[in-house]
Amino acid sequence: MTVQTAGVRQRHRLATMSLGGLLAVICLITVTPFALMIVVALSPAGSLTLPYALPDRLTWENITEIFSAAGFTRWTINSFVYSVLSMLIILLTASMAGYAFAKMRFPGRDALMWSFLATLMVPFQAMLIPYFVLVSRLGGLNTFWGLIVPTLANSQAVFLMRQFIRDLPDELFDAARIDGASEWRVYWRIVLPLTKPILATLAVFVFLWHWNDFLWPLVVAQSRDMQTLTVGLATLRSENVPLAQLMAAAAISVVPCLVVFALVQRFIVNSIAITGLK
Amino acid sequence: MARLADPPVSRGDVQDAGPARQPKAPLRFRLREPITGLLFVLPMLALFVVFRFVPAFGAVGMSFTDYKISGEYDFIGVDNYARLLDDPVFAVSLKATLVYAAVYVPFTVLVALGTALLLNSVVWGRGLFRGMLFMPYVTSFVFAGLIWRFVYEIDGLINGLLGRADLGPVDFLGDTSLVLPSLAAVSAWKGFGYSMLILVAGLKAIPRSYLEAALVDGANAWQRFRLVVLPLLRPALFFVLVIETIGAFQVFDTIYVMTGGGPVRASYTLVYALFDQGFRFFDFGYAATIGVVLFAIVLIVSLIQRLFLDREPT
Repeated sequence: MTVQTAGVRQRHRLATMSLGGLLAVICLITVTPFALMIVVALSPAGSLTLPYALPDRLTWENITEIFSAAGFTRWTINSFVYSVLSMLIILLTASMAGYAFAKMRFPGRDALMWSFLATLMVPFQAMLIPYFVLVSRLGGLNTFWGLIVPTLANSQAVFLMRQFIRDLPDELFDAARIDGASEWRVYWRIVLPLTKPILATLAVFVFLWHWNDFLWPLVVAQSRDMQTLTVGLATLRSENVPLAQLMAAAAISVVPCLVVFALVQRFIVNSIAITGLK
Repeated sequence: MARLADPPVSRGDVQDAGPARQPKAPLRFRLREPITGLLFVLPMLALFVVFRFVPAFGAVGMSFTDYKISGEYDFIGVDNYARLLDDPVFAVSLKATLVYAAVYVPFTVLVALGTALLLNSVVWGRGLFRGMLFMPYVTSFVFAGLIWRFVYEIDGLINGLLGRADLGPVDFLGDTSLVLPSLAAVSAWKGFGYSMLILVAGLKAIPRSYLEAALVDGANAWQRFRLVVLPLLRPALFFVLVIETIGAFQVFDTIYVMTGGGPVRASYTLVYALFDQGFRFFDFGYAATIGVVLFAIVLIVSLIQRLFLDREPT
């Protein structure tokens, strides 16, 4: 009996170890492209590098050179403006709308909420042409507002805020109102502080969506000065920049995403599991 | 007194029902909540009207015109749709998209399921493994495309390794039958982490006691997976399947930076055709029509999802 149990246990341990080994191999394959990119980005110009050999020394010169390349610094700034401004405005407008949808009564409230959600069904690409026509008619081509404002109508953000605020106890709001606080004060002093966790999650996602966005910036901000980093990378590729510099540019473009990810990994993982945010 | 016990929603009906015994609250008090509510929604509502509702209907409207970049247009009825049916390039793009989806979706879902099961069964380093697997998800498709171009090229990583073994070279992006699977692999690398996390959450929700009961009954690992895990994981699996299918039909960024739709339109997908018609030929009416087709496909996929989820016994 004991021999058998020991055997089973050993077999079990062996199985667990081999599963762990398999997972480690898959992880290795997943991160290989990152490692490859970093090695090539740090290889001196003209010297032999991957995939043929490891470079004999590493250098920062590709990174410094790419920052002096036409436009790269500007693209980085543009991407930050696009992502951070969009994030702040969406957090504000979505939490306001979410509060009203969750805790106030007004005619047509639910119909409005569902009509917001229904727009999720229409893929962005299907509306690309009308978007472009609309923004160009309004004079928004190659401007920050033309880039930012159309991306602010975000139903996922509104819905998430509404769900979260709905679960907060009514008594909190009523007590403040009885004390004579205006709705705006209730929103600013009670709703915003209480929704900090969900606001932080949303901030991360909105930042990543915009930082990684490509098709919309590609069509609306075509002048070299107004391109975002993703579009700039594609431009560099089409201009046949040396591979090492291209990899350096790609590496820089991904740093903010990885920093955000490293800081709030657990956060992101949990919120995907709970909310299905994508 | 009875009035006080009434639920607030029916307040309106009661007031109409007869002479009120209690004095009505002044109009400005009764209107205060609806007005503040609307004011709070107003910024987002304005954004939705201008940048969601108008473009959505605009897309359908434009598909019945020959809208030019100059802004001039005539209504041409269903001519754009008739043209789609006769357009060999559109047929090519539809076929490329379907092939791409047929490779991408099963591959991604299987990888996501496999890694989710592995993550669920390892005892150490789970957080580290999960982080490494999820890392590509936070990057952009453009980034993924650039890196993987280098992996795929004739003098790239894979051919470098193959060359060591005196094999190859394989022209992953230049071969008409290899290009779509190669692109699908890039998107899978970038995107599977999301589906993996959904499935990990689904697996966590399966009560341990079910698996232990199956173990006591002598079920082997495969039987436990097929008869216990899989049925309980079905809703999560289905969600992932739909999300990935919809995503597959929208593929664009990687193709733009990796192949430009080539070679000879072998990777010329639906959204690439839309982009080409719109921003290379400036045929906005026709491009909008392709967008309507894309919308119809996504809608059908979502409706199938609803149909299946309604049948779900849970």
